[in-house]
Amino acid sequence: MSRGREMRAARRSAQFAKFRITELNLVPLVDTFVSIVFFALTTATISELTQVVPGVRLPEVTTGSTTIQQLTLGIGNQVTLGGHTVMNTADAASAQSNVPGQPLVIPLLFTALKARADSVRQSNRISVDSAIPAKLAIQGDKTMRYDLLSRMIQTARWAGFKNITLQVNPSVSATTATGGQPAASSGVPR
Amino acid sequence: MSSRFRRSKQQRAERAPFTGHGNINLVPLVDILTSIVFFSLLTYSGATMAALFAYDLSLPPVVITAPQATIDRHEKDLLNMLIGVRVDNDKIVVETSGNDPQGQHLGTSQEFKGSGALSLDQLQQYMTSLHTQYPNNNDLTVIPSDDVNYDNVIHVLERLRNSKYTGIALGTKTRQVMQAAASGDVK
Repeated sequence: MSRGREMRAARRSAQFAKFRITELNLVPLVDTFVSIVFFALTTATISELTQVVPGVRLPEVTTGSTTIQQLTLGIGNQVTLGGHTVMNTADAASAQSNVPGQPLVIPLLFTALKARADSVRQSNRISVDSAIPAKLAIQGDKTMRYDLLSRMIQTARWAGFKNITLQVNPSVSATTATGGQPAASSGVPR
Repeated sequence: MSSRFRRSKQQRAERAPFTGHGNINLVPLVDILTSIVFFSLLTYSGATMAALFAYDLSLPPVVITAPQATIDRHEKDLLNMLIGVRVDNDKIVVETSGNDPQGQHLGTSQEFKGSGALSLDQLQQYMTSLHTQYPNNNDLTVIPSDDVNYDNVIHVLERLRNSKYTGIALGTKTRQVMQAAASGDVK
């Protein structure tokens, strides 16, 4: 090889030396993986949990199917729908129906539920008067009387919610005390 | 005499050629943790989260009296018995009505005194035997009285679920004018 060619090769090598990768910085990669693992674990945990309406003491049971986050109708001191207060529970209990032939319907709650049902119908392109597939979860205080619950259920069905589910609190102590069998006295009021 | 700080600095400078590429850069980690804390605080709503149980309610069964033109279900799937569970504060009554495939009347009425654990146990035992006897019938209607607590209703639903009934509907009495009390405390 001639001397000139060697010099040209040396110059070219020197020019490209600054682009040569001599080490790989793994820190950003590890940071990204840490973030992914963190959010994956957080999401897996949160997705199994359901939001409990504040101020509502749910009944405790030992058996039941697991639930997911749904549109929730809370019945404590206030009647809430999706976290927003609709009306006072005492007012709901004493409200007079304005629908002929449907004495159980609570007008103010019906308006709120109908608005939610209509938005679901619009997003799913369902006809106006048909039932919607979305479930409505009811979280009621355990001291509530059944006549109020029946009014809530009837109002929800009249608004278009045909799939209604009652959400209750699992009684962990009763389950562990009886070895997984249903407890005989799991908080049943006398 | 050099200070301790100066000696330490000098020792770090001597070690630098050997450990220069081994230092962990904590700045990106702190950045990410700061982002996580920021968005966690931003989205915190103070809501309590819990793993809850659910009881799905089905619509009350419809009694069809007129003969059907086409029945595409097998005979074993046909509902031939209606089961109603009335819940009061002092008793639980199970009533059945209907006919078996041989045309025999299935109407019965079974009453359990009280609404405590003992009557709930008896209810579960009776319903389990009823379901074993008539496995076609997975549907029933629970009709609580107006003044029954929600807690009692849920415990009856729990026992019925333990008895392998899957289609549980909540019914109510027919009435003209309705005014409910707000809770069990208001009577």
